[in-house]
Amino acid sequence: MQTTPSSADTDLLADNLRRAAIDKSVKGPVLFLFLNGAFWLMASTILGVLAALKLFAPSFLGDFAVLQYGRLQPTHINALVYGWGVQAGLGVMLWIMARRSGQELKSGKSALYVAGVFWNIAVTLGLVSILTGGSTSMEWMEMPKWVWPIMLISFMTFAWPMVSMFTRAYRPEGFMVSTWYVLGACFWFPWIFVTANVALHCLPGLGALGAGINAWYVHAIILLFFTPVAIGSAYYFIPKVTGQPIASGQLAQLGFWALACLGGWPGMQHFMGGPLPAWMPAIGAATGVLLLIPVGVVGLNHHLTTLGKHDLVATSPTLRFTFFGAAFYPVSGILLAVLSAFSTGADLQFTSAWYGFQIIAIYGFFSMCVFGAIYYIVPRLTGCEWLSVRLIRNHFWFSAYGIATIVITSLVAGIQQGGDLNHPDMWDQDFMQLVLNTRGYVIARAIAWALITWSNVWFLIHLLLMVAGLGRRSSAPTLLHHGHEESALPHGAHA
Amino acid sequence: MSNFRTFILALTASFGLPWLCLIIIPTIKYQALTPIAYDKEKDGIEGYYPPAPINRQGQLVYAREGCAQCHTQMIRPTQLALDGWRKGWGQDQETRPAAPVRSNTLHDYLGEPYAFLGVQRIGPDLTNYAWRAPSRELIHQLLYAPRSLHDWSTMPVFSNLYLNQLAQGPVSEKALKLPIKFAPKTGYEVVPTPEAEALVDYLLSLKKDYLIPGMTAAAAAPAKK
Repeated sequence: MQTTPSSADTDLLADNLRRAAIDKSVKGPVLFLFLNGAFWLMASTILGVLAALKLFAPSFLGDFAVLQYGRLQPTHINALVYGWGVQAGLGVMLWIMARRSGQELKSGKSALYVAGVFWNIAVTLGLVSILTGGSTSMEWMEMPKWVWPIMLISFMTFAWPMVSMFTRAYRPEGFMVSTWYVLGACFWFPWIFVTANVALHCLPGLGALGAGINAWYVHAIILLFFTPVAIGSAYYFIPKVTGQPIASGQLAQLGFWALACLGGWPGMQHFMGGPLPAWMPAIGAATGVLLLIPVGVVGLNHHLTTLGKHDLVATSPTLRFTFFGAAFYPVSGILLAVLSAFSTGADLQFTSAWYGFQIIAIYGFFSMCVFGAIYYIVPRLTGCEWLSVRLIRNHFWFSAYGIATIVITSLVAGIQQGGDLNHPDMWDQDFMQLVLNTRGYVIARAIAWALITWSNVWFLIHLLLMVAGLGRRSSAPTLLHHGHEESALPHGAHA
Repeated sequence: MSNFRTFILALTASFGLPWLCLIIIPTIKYQALTPIAYDKEKDGIEGYYPPAPINRQGQLVYAREGCAQCHTQMIRPTQLALDGWRKGWGQDQETRPAAPVRSNTLHDYLGEPYAFLGVQRIGPDLTNYAWRAPSRELIHQLLYAPRSLHDWSTMPVFSNLYLNQLAQGPVSEKALKLPIKFAPKTGYEVVPTPEAEALVDYLLSLKKDYLIPGMTAAAAAPAKK
């Protein structure tokens, strides 16, 4: 089902016109989401630096309540998840769905703008509330409870046109893997979001079960929203840029349905050994490990699709980011399995390895795929090309090194911390050793976030210039030259 | 997939199953959970399990300050971790208790709208903090000036829960007695706000290793009253 360049020139011209019309129809909302998302991403990385510093030196910048770790850390994560993650994800979803189903966004564009504005207002108010003392201290749901209905309605406003595009273009004989993933994300997110918010905000208290539902929510959003958006995007852009069809349709189907069947189970193993009935963490742990199947299948499929075209990873910004992100899918899957299995998970429970997993899933895997998509989509919407190869390269390398540092230090710190917590010699010790041992890692985390902040400030500026129409006027895309000719890209990559 | 409806049905079924099993049914069943009466003959005590609720006002302060980011409230069983053998983490404050602290059950958190089991364990577990808690004054000092007790501590300073005010007349009875390095300017005093008092009340209500009805005292936590 790949868009292969048609032999007849007239067909090609008609195709290009159709694509241009589709791009034009979604231009406004998609750019709005990307731009606001990039802003929140920058804010989140700055908060990440601050939170890490406050964990090391609690009185840094003074003892103001607003800046204490207990308030900064959730703000940092929530800005990353709702400000950047969901927003940028929606932008990519909308564009892929429109392109892949060949449908223009017919009407309701103003509703999308309104929804986008309300989403951002909700996130802003929610984050300010966390900082000023309105935090609920439920992971990823720290924002006060009046925020979620606004966010839900905004999300549904975006999901609706995607679903209708999908139904209009549904071809029974065709298997359209990226649109399946996108539709899945449209479908799962509201379901998970409503379930968790109603259970934790509207029902009379659920005690420890509430904590279990909260852990399930975090896992489900990662596995059934961020993962499908990122994989869907990778399934779209890897074949697009390499010019090779997806290696195996059967593997793609298997990967999709395995994720759909397993993704709803994990979560409660986060509180293994806790007050929940034992079967709940057990089934979470089992499915957390079983998820290695879709992870391996999709990883293999992406690998086979890229095979023989690895030189393009050096040239095409889209492929480079997507390749990096797609490669981090197996890494985050393995990390989830390690955190879930009781034998390894008990040592990593309640340590910074959990933070490492969240960051690797949202930044290393999801965001890198989305960056790849943005580098492809934005020039087609704005009608100009990315200004600077150096800025793109800077964005990639600072992100790659920064994320690697955070993940490795969080993991090693987690092993250290878990060892300190569970070592028999520590039975009568206070937490001095643990605190002193984690200091180095926390400093490394602060530096890594600073590197990422640096890259994202430039990404935001670059994106702003593009949206303002100040990009390069050229018919040739901005490529990361590495001694290769531009013609190394197959024609399909320009479409 | 032959048509769109089958596709949506398959999606609904694949996600609906875990949703039903993990969320909906347990949530409905949880509503039926009530305190259990102790059996005077078997358990040796009267009353209900769990015996005492936590202080909700203080828990709200605990939530909004994000204490759960660094403090857990969950004792894991000994086959999984060594929580139960940590000194002072249960009712028995002796150096070498006879039995480990028991791990927690759903009932331990009954009556709490949400159980703050915790994100990371950067500070000590607080499940049974009340048993080992020092005096109220010392807890206030820990919250207001953590580094006055442990110079290595990375706990945030919760000065927003205290009033640093001009002492009018004699110094208030409630004023914190701080070491010189952390003390306010002369003529000033540091007094806990009602929120700080509520937070301390909450911390002093954290006892989650009561005897479970039906379990003999030897099998359960060391229950010496």
